[in-house]
Amino acid sequence: MNNQDKLRQAFVTALGVKPETVTDELQYNTIAEWDSTAHMVLIAELENVFDVMLDTDDIIDMSSVKHARLILQKYDIDFA
Amino acid sequence: MRSDTPVNQWEVSAFQVSLTPIAEAHQAQIRAWRNQPEIRQQMLASEEISEEQQQAWFKKTKYDPKQLHWVVHFRGRPIGVTNVKSLEMGKAASQATVLEPGLYIGEQAYQNNIIAFAPTLAMYDFCFEHFNVQQFRAIVKSSNTPAMHYNEKLGYQRVEEGELCVLELNVEDYRQHTKTIRQFLSRERKANTVKRKT
Repeated sequence: MNNQDKLRQAFVTALGVKPETVTDELQYNTIAEWDSTAHMVLIAELENVFDVMLDTDDIIDMSSVKHARLILQKYDIDFA
Repeated sequence: MRSDTPVNQWEVSAFQVSLTPIAEAHQAQIRAWRNQPEIRQQMLASEEISEEQQQAWFKKTKYDPKQLHWVVHFRGRPIGVTNVKSLEMGKAASQATVLEPGLYIGEQAYQNNIIAFAPTLAMYDFCFEHFNVQQFRAIVKSSNTPAMHYNEKLGYQRVEEGELCVLELNVEDYRQHTKTIRQFLSRERKANTVKRKT
């Protein structure tokens, strides 16, 4: 499983949504499944899957799937 | 019960936000936030506030020991307002054992964001540490689902159901329920650095 697949699966696991829901355009608070509680579950899942510890600023600013990937790239996670 | 001097002298900084006692200079911004339809409709008193009403409210609350109001700043900008009110006759907010909290995030970018928990954590921690409060009691419209969820995440228990719900929170439940949130909101600010867990 490459990192893009891991990212998608992390969203599926944390938010309880279908894989096809997880597109770059999916944004925080635009679906019922991604509220502030789910956001914390998502952060924990991403940290576990990618073995990183995110800064608070990044936790606050992670507002979409696309943004999540950009943030993880700062932590040396390669999505090429 | 009225003070001769402004009652709120406490500045609080924690969890990435700072709480500044409300001042004259904040009143136009507070009124603009408070009159936003989506905020107004969740208030127990939901009518629009005039400039005169805002000024009268500020002049009264500034010297009222039963209530303390702060403007919330995040990343150097004001984003909302938070407050506590004494629910005990004749007792100042700093002396009461039961306080009613209030919060609204006026800046839309941060409404429903995890940072919306920061002013509450900062204020509750401060009150539990420095005041006599033993319990917070929130009164929320049952139709205000986001506020109900927000309070339940803090550890509040519903004690009265109805058009208006009453929720209560003690310090043990608060600390237990907010472990994860406070851990996420209290990390170092080192953007653009790489940090591996191992």
